[in-house]
Amino acid sequence: MATTELAGKRAKEESISFVDADVHPHFRQGLRDLMPYLSDAWRKRVGLGAAESWTKGLPASEFTLPTNRLYLHTKGALRLDAVGPDGSPPASDPKLVREQLLDRFNISAAVLIGGNMFGLGGVPDADLAAALATAYNDYMLDTWLPVDSRYKLALYVAPQDPVLAAKEIDRLGERPGVVAVYLPLINILMGNRHFYPVYEAATRHGLPVMVHPNSIDGQLVAGARMVGIPSYYIEWHAGLSTIFMANAASLVCEGVYERFPGLKTVFCEGGLSWVPHLMWRLDKNWKALRDEVPWLKRRPSEYMLEHMRFSTQPIEEPERPEYLLQILEMMHAERTVIFSSDFPHWDADDPFWALAKLPDQLKRRIAHETARELFGL
Amino acid sequence: MRRPATQPYFVAKVSELGPGMRRVVEAGQRSILVLNVDGAFYAIRNRCPHQGCSLECGTVSGTMLPSDPQQLIYGRHNQILRCPWHGWELDLRTGRSLFDPEGVRVATYPVRIEGDSVVVEA
Repeated sequence: MATTELAGKRAKEESISFVDADVHPHFRQGLRDLMPYLSDAWRKRVGLGAAESWTKGLPASEFTLPTNRLYLHTKGALRLDAVGPDGSPPASDPKLVREQLLDRFNISAAVLIGGNMFGLGGVPDADLAAALATAYNDYMLDTWLPVDSRYKLALYVAPQDPVLAAKEIDRLGERPGVVAVYLPLINILMGNRHFYPVYEAATRHGLPVMVHPNSIDGQLVAGARMVGIPSYYIEWHAGLSTIFMANAASLVCEGVYERFPGLKTVFCEGGLSWVPHLMWRLDKNWKALRDEVPWLKRRPSEYMLEHMRFSTQPIEEPERPEYLLQILEMMHAERTVIFSSDFPHWDADDPFWALAKLPDQLKRRIAHETARELFGL
Repeated sequence: MRRPATQPYFVAKVSELGPGMRRVVEAGQRSILVLNVDGAFYAIRNRCPHQGCSLECGTVSGTMLPSDPQQLIYGRHNQILRCPWHGWELDLRTGRSLFDPEGVRVATYPVRIEGDSVVVEA
């Protein structure tokens, strides 16, 4: 392609605006960023503000947010070009992210899902987990959302205690800029009644429930994970979609969408190609096994299409680009797929590049239209 | 196109087809399964609309009625024939599948008693 054609292509992409469903802000100083938003009692409880001492790093001597300590991305799991000029962690400065992401790629709204908090489900103390979620939400509403109206918040809730989670949704669900609930996954499938208070509250406030990898699948606890424990990062990362498949099947088969007809579930960063597979597999099984789950009044795939949304990144790159178009058609992407960049993770997608090969109408649906409907933007 | 006229086919003596029994009759090119369920006779095309399996060994039962989540309500006792292969549920009276009554169905035929014979009109 000649240079002028490339430039022309780029200009055309830039005329499209994007809603980015998956952006990860990071703390500058780890958990200490939350200090002003935790009570004295909780600060004492987790040892925040205590003097540094030789106990650091020793067993049972320091509280850290549970996170993926099992797998090492050999380059580093964050984009090196997103590091701040002062060496601060990628996406830890809302003004810099505005420049690096929002302005540069015509992002009209970015849904923020805190990157340090993914492992919240691994905190053994349910009250502490809930307190951390609350502190994080207040911190985000205080430090990120006022910086730019394009920043939107997915409220963290702690999955350990669904009643406390529902309370948190009730506390902030109507706050301007709050567009979703973020639910870290644990070792209970999403269709389980454990989560119904969360779904009830989310539905009451018209908020979709979002899930994302790195819940506790990267921790050595009985977590949402594939069968067995992968040895390598590459293996863990590629297999994450199996966790989403299990949860999608659970949500449908337990009748969650019959119980909560207004509920929407967003699967972030879990891939796309498994969706038609699971739709067909469930539909086929349902024809034979309908009497086991008689509360399903429609084909399982219809619940998936109506209630589930899937974010694009990491966009799949098949042998032939047209294969992806076929997959998108199979999963009715014009109403089920929403764009996400996953900024600033290493596998982030460039908005202009990721959707470049899609026909215009579908591109608009994926880039922003469906997400606007979903998040009420 | 006009539907070809039907004709009666002898199935069995009434005494040979008691409750719980079933018999397959060949009606021209068609194979038809005739069942006596609790004294009521049904005739259904002996070919599952899915992969063509013979329904002869299928289970007659009721089913779980549409319900709220996690509720089980049994009903339609002995009105459902389940394919012995994948278990598709077919309404014995109408031949319609339970999962897609409009789109997926199998033919059914009237059965009557003439003297001491069971006769299917097909």
